[in-house]
Amino acid sequence: MNLQELIQVLNLKVFTCKDNLNKDVEGGYVSDLLSDVLADAKPNQIWITLQTHKNIVAIAQLKGLSAVVLVKGLEPNENTIQKADEERIVLLGSEENSFDLVGKLYAFFQESKEK
Amino acid sequence: MRTLSLHLFEILSNSVFYGANNIEIIVKDSKKENIYYFEVKDDGKGIRQEDIEKATDAFFTSRSTRKVGLGLALTKQKAQQCKGDLEIESFYGEGTKVRFWFAHNNIDRPPLGEIEEVIVMCATMKENINVKYKHITDKGEYFFDTKQIRKILEGVEINNIKIIKALKEMMKNNLDEILVNE
Repeated sequence: MNLQELIQVLNLKVFTCKDNLNKDVEGGYVSDLLSDVLADAKPNQIWITLQTHKNIVAIAQLKGLSAVVLVKGLEPNENTIQKADEERIVLLGSEENSFDLVGKLYAFFQESKEK
Repeated sequence: MRTLSLHLFEILSNSVFYGANNIEIIVKDSKKENIYYFEVKDDGKGIRQEDIEKATDAFFTSRSTRKVGLGLALTKQKAQQCKGDLEIESFYGEGTKVRFWFAHNNIDRPPLGEIEEVIVMCATMKENINVKYKHITDKGEYFFDTKQIRKILEGVEINNIKIIKALKEMMKNNLDEILVNE
């Protein structure tokens, strides 16, 4: 699926890299334990989490993730936004909680697979 | 990391990687003082004063194979999220002391995990590495010293599968006597 499409359809807020959203998303990963994402996330996945610490940018970069979505209306601080822009990491936001957001994401992935 | 022992392992890996021959570990697990405290002191390469602050930054690493160095950064983050912190004292060419702690009763504070695995692995990772480990709880203290072990073994290298297994069992049994169940 295309990231730009996902952003529109799920009404996600874009915190960084507004010019770098035309990329592929090959699935998703949900976890709030950074070491867990480090171990099991795959490249080009979209990562859904409530962790806003700057370290999420390092993890996303290391694992080659398409984007990181912060749930429940949480926002990254200035420091994190700056680092993410520097490292070209897409940080997005959703007002919804993980369960609802991932439910919708999953449905879209299934739909697009069927097409 | 899912357990405190894995965070300790990250720090110990750094000590070994950066050339330590002597490592002293202190763990204080005290409900009374509401603290879970770890201290690792080594005689490895050390960190330059100007790099100490950067050492806990995920994007700073002196390793050449990757761009990010996460062990210290993630441990510091976890410690701070559990009402604790991580501090580094170091002198380049002399060694490093890393201290990190968590509020014992904090709900996000990970369980200890299998610390005997981590300590024994550290002690047997490299030949002739000396490890002193002290574990203090409200119930008592346990002290482990590879120098003492080597004396008892009279020349048999501790880097031997049967000995490693025995050491882990011994350590676990001793710790079980002073650890208070979570």
